[in-house]
Amino acid sequence: MFLRRKGPQALRRDGERTVILLGDDERALLVDLAEQFRSVLAADDDPDLRRLYPAAYADDAERDADYAGLVHDDLLRTRLDAADGLVASATAESIDDEELAAWMQVLNGLRLLLGTRLDVSEEDGFDPEALDAPSRALLAWLGFLLEEAVESAAAGL
Amino acid sequence: MSPAPVEVDQPDVNQDDETATDRPWIVLVWNDPINLMSYVSFVFQKVFGYSREKADRLMLDVHHKGRAVVSGGTREKAEMDVFRLHEHGLWATLQQDD
Repeated sequence: MFLRRKGPQALRRDGERTVILLGDDERALLVDLAEQFRSVLAADDDPDLRRLYPAAYADDAERDADYAGLVHDDLLRTRLDAADGLVASATAESIDDEELAAWMQVLNGLRLLLGTRLDVSEEDGFDPEALDAPSRALLAWLGFLLEEAVESAAAGL
Repeated sequence: MSPAPVEVDQPDVNQDDETATDRPWIVLVWNDPINLMSYVSFVFQKVFGYSREKADRLMLDVHHKGRAVVSGGTREKAEMDVFRLHEHGLWATLQQDD
């Protein structure tokens, strides 16, 4: 299903904008994932979300609780907005840098959630026979998209 | 002419405490197995306005040494920097410099 693109590239910088070269199936998958991400975020009770809300004060639980109380809802809100932004622009031919930032936030947030769920490490290889192979392939695909998004966003800095 | 000397109440401060509160705060970013190297470098450029070279050097420090000091200043500034890094999904903490 991922072979309907005309070339190997998924995103391409074009002046002030980023052209989306994804096929319809990939766009639909991305919308589905962004909506799942949105639901998990909104429920706000999945322990695998912990990498999205790391401790700010590693050695001071009291200060950290105060800090988390101040910022948690803001962090949640920007991620929900980013998921909405991706869904709203998923069928576009091209996106501006604000929309690209939303895409990146969702791609990276999904990777943090999925990577935590899979308990990935830097030494992991890919075993196509493993039970979690499909999820690991998904993580790699999200990483591929994020790499291209970073390249385009860096060109726009 | 010099002004008349003014009697000033010297606050009774403990020198050690004062030094402790004056010590600057630093922001650390920690290595994690999920974030992409190119993405981490990009976030340093975007959030702090660092050059590509400086951002890459800090990212490689995080990758090879497990962590790097990426910014610092007052506690308020350090908290704001940590917030922006968390917003971008990086694993950042703040602490007083020692």
